[in-house]
Amino acid sequence: MTTAYEAAQLAAARIEAAESSGLNATIAFDPEVLLRQGREVDARTTPSRLGVGGLPLAVKDNICTVEYDTTCGSRILENYRSPYEATAVSRLKAAGGMVACKSNLDEFAMGSSSEHSAFGRVRHPVDAERVPGGSSGGSAALVAAGAVDAALGSDTGGSVRQPAAFCGVVGLKPTYGRVSRYGLIAFGSSLDQIGVIAASVQQAAAVLEVISGRDERDSTCADVDPIDISLDRQDLDGIVVGLPAEYFPSDLDPVTRKACDRAVDAMRRAGAVTRDVSLPHARLAVPCYYVIAPAEASANLARYDGVRYGARVTGQEGGEGVDDLAAMYRATRGAGFGAEVRRRIVVGTHVLSSGYYEAYYTKAQIARGRITRDFTAVFDGGVDVLFTPTTPTTAFKAGELLGDPVAMYLGDVFVCAANLAGIPAISVPIGRANGLPIGGQLMAPVFAEQTLLNVAQVMERVVDGDHELR
Amino acid sequence: MTWETVIGLEVHVQLATRSKLFCDCSTVFGDDPNANVCPVCLGLPGALPVTNREAVRLGVRAALALGFAVHRTSLFARKNYFYPDLPKGYQISQFDQPLASRGALEIESADRGDVSIGLTRLHLEEDAGKSLHDRFPDQTALDFNRSGIPLAEIVSDPDLRSPAEARAYLTTLKQILQYLDVSDCSMEEGRLRVDANLSVRSAGQEALGVKQEIKNMNSFATVERSLDYLRLSQIQTLEDGATVEPNTFSAATGTLRVMRTKEASHDYRYFPEPDLPPLEIGRDWLDEERNSLPELPRALCARLGEQYGVPSYDAGVLASTRALADYFEQLAGAGVDGRTAAHWVMGSVLQDANENKGVLRVAPTRLAALIHMVGNRQVSLQTAKRLFPELAVTDEAPETLAARLEVIQIDDEDQLSEWVRTVIETHPDELSRFREGESKLMDFFMGRVMKTSRGKADPKRVQQMLLDELGR
Amino acid sequence: MTVPPEEVERIARLAHISLDPDSLQTLTREVGAILEYVAQLEHVEAADAEPFRPGPAKAPLRPDVVRPGGKPPLPAAPKFSDGLYLVPKVGRLDDTG
Repeated sequence: MTTAYEAAQLAAARIEAAESSGLNATIAFDPEVLLRQGREVDARTTPSRLGVGGLPLAVKDNICTVEYDTTCGSRILENYRSPYEATAVSRLKAAGGMVACKSNLDEFAMGSSSEHSAFGRVRHPVDAERVPGGSSGGSAALVAAGAVDAALGSDTGGSVRQPAAFCGVVGLKPTYGRVSRYGLIAFGSSLDQIGVIAASVQQAAAVLEVISGRDERDSTCADVDPIDISLDRQDLDGIVVGLPAEYFPSDLDPVTRKACDRAVDAMRRAGAVTRDVSLPHARLAVPCYYVIAPAEASANLARYDGVRYGARVTGQEGGEGVDDLAAMYRATRGAGFGAEVRRRIVVGTHVLSSGYYEAYYTKAQIARGRITRDFTAVFDGGVDVLFTPTTPTTAFKAGELLGDPVAMYLGDVFVCAANLAGIPAISVPIGRANGLPIGGQLMAPVFAEQTLLNVAQVMERVVDGDHELR
Repeated sequence: MTWETVIGLEVHVQLATRSKLFCDCSTVFGDDPNANVCPVCLGLPGALPVTNREAVRLGVRAALALGFAVHRTSLFARKNYFYPDLPKGYQISQFDQPLASRGALEIESADRGDVSIGLTRLHLEEDAGKSLHDRFPDQTALDFNRSGIPLAEIVSDPDLRSPAEARAYLTTLKQILQYLDVSDCSMEEGRLRVDANLSVRSAGQEALGVKQEIKNMNSFATVERSLDYLRLSQIQTLEDGATVEPNTFSAATGTLRVMRTKEASHDYRYFPEPDLPPLEIGRDWLDEERNSLPELPRALCARLGEQYGVPSYDAGVLASTRALADYFEQLAGAGVDGRTAAHWVMGSVLQDANENKGVLRVAPTRLAALIHMVGNRQVSLQTAKRLFPELAVTDEAPETLAARLEVIQIDDEDQLSEWVRTVIETHPDELSRFREGESKLMDFFMGRVMKTSRGKADPKRVQQMLLDELGR
Repeated sequence: MTVPPEEVERIARLAHISLDPDSLQTLTREVGAILEYVAQLEHVEAADAEPFRPGPAKAPLRPDVVRPGGKPPLPAAPKFSDGLYLVPKVGRLDDTG
């Protein structure tokens, strides 16, 4: 029987080990900070709801905490200490959770490889030459490395599920509005959700229960009680699993396809009925996402100007040679933001400008509506969950896609639709290719996490995630 | 060449809420700088807006009173621009789905009589912080107390035809908003701000001339004066054969200075605020607000005239604020006739209020009691007017006060006769002189009687008695 | 539908981000590629368009109550004096892009 302090000690040692091996999965980690929390949890009289010994979690560094700085992987927030903590973090702590460290990420959650961090890229836990995925790469790597059993991430266009798939762990994106966004530093406000990366479906469910539920500080958080999940399914009898044709294109990577076929067979054997379905507007998901997300981001990042907090660069230092306010803004933001962030701000500003708004932003919103209605139609037609590959490939090599942003974006082809429609989705390991994990994705209707997690847990049980599919 | 002036006004009014529009910071004016701020109104990373119900309610009430169609569904939108007093780099406002559209305001124009000014829209938005450019050299200082305060923006159609009409519009609008307790509209404390635009065209021309804008006017008089100046300047320009430049002027220094040349391509890149679901005003709520609107100034003014028989000018003064109108009606309700009540309210009551920050210090029932004492000839009108401010600083009933100050008139016939006779008997010389024709000695006798009575004799009775006695 | 470098520069100015000439070039190329990719949205039919926003159907409204307890803790400001945040004098910041 472990105490919280013992759990903290174990996690501290493992995080230390993982980082020493060059993982670079943390931006902030101080064993003393973790151990102190362990002592605090043990000193409390109310028992921890997150397991007997409390639960150390890695927290993605775009989620506000008071124990550590919150940098979003950016120079512009280097040394920023938030004066308040995110609602999700408060709830975790009240339930015996401990903020073990702040995990590394793509800057401001913009990216699919965790290479776009001002504090160095995160390494894949199995193959250091490869990326762990992104943007919650640090969280996924730490769970995969066994340093923590669970981590908080954020998922705007797949940023929890994709790294979970690359790293061979479970990654859950809740229904939009299931978990409060208060204290999650905004990237794409209508798409963002705090998600959970964990070693098992059950662990992910336990964390979701604690962090979910109405929050009067977030107007987009649904007015519902925290969710109560009972993982009591023994099999998939009565479950209809939809297989959307558009997610199994003819040019899908053969090993990924094989892994999916295996998983589908296993689900059938467990009692599920599969059905071929269509999501006709699926091909619009990536372009739609890459208009809406940058548009919202361009506004969300306008507050980083060096006036009230964060880094400030004067016009002199920034090489402007002029020290008026405009120069200060440009120097601060120019120095503070990395290339991917700058790209997205420029794209976002452009698609909102007069003359372009109708062609890009309005069309994207229309497309979003159609994508969402595709899902609704399929679910209303009797499908309980949809099954798809999480990613088109396994983890790619670091540097491979850095020069080609669009190629990088295309990797989100299977995951970003769930953010557009606001539906819950989860990635579960379903096999390996040359040792590299492959993830299978389940999606369910809004607020159907109970179904989603139950099916996911059965799938976890009947599909061997470590099976080498060469 | 006759010229027609076309004026539009954009008014920002601070809604009278206790907390800000999207956070629970206090809205109190004059607190220490940056005392009333929080992560939300400072734009800290991760903070989110939550809408103040009372701000919406006041916006709805203002819209209903101004004849607007209130939209049951409206959307907040981000208005994106950079300025150091705008913490998020965008202002949460409303754009293509505002709270209300198509209203109207009736004003009295000196030139055109009663005229209805179209109102384009009313929407809700948050205020920005305050920039202080002169506090430190080479620096701008920022106070975010004002950041996030709820504003209603009211835009008029370009229906005003003179600077005087613009002023009448503002006066009328302010009065209505004060009636509703939507805002105290204090321009001095920045709770009502006006931007004006003006163009001229030759009479009969359909197309509008080039518009110029004026900002930073600090009083209704300044608005009228600035518009007048601009009007003449534009006319002069056109008569000289030149073109009017679409400039924006600031009136901050007392004269018009160019702030911006040409409508700067301010692309605000509006898009619906993703952090706020649609603002829904249910039918029941709307009906509740509509049914609980107070009687508005025009209607009240007309009714006072009709119901109490006061002339329309007087009714206008009485209706200038709801508080004053209520006072008048209560006074009348306590048995004072309309004209007398009007006389007192427009006189002593209003004067006292003006000297005491607008507070109506004496309860109408007490004033009514005082007025009745005049009717009963217990005190003269003059005395009553002297007693009135005293009533504000004591709890005593008027009768008690008057008695204490020994100003109650004596009209006991026997006592008065005795005094009159005594004065006449002790002044035989004056008596003979009076009888010989020095009629102005009446004043002398009056004075003697009043003095003997220490001012308490009822002068009317004394005069009558003297006339009777002296006449013999 | 590529954007010329002047347009990218204008937008960078609008977003108040400084760029050296090399970065500008790379950024122009990359932004061009991205916009070209998303331009396929052009073909989305505008007819029967229903807007979709996830989350609650209507905004929750909070009561008009001032938070008890005064000012919450706030981060240190880069430049602060006499209770006021300070920035260099607002010069040419009129956002004309």
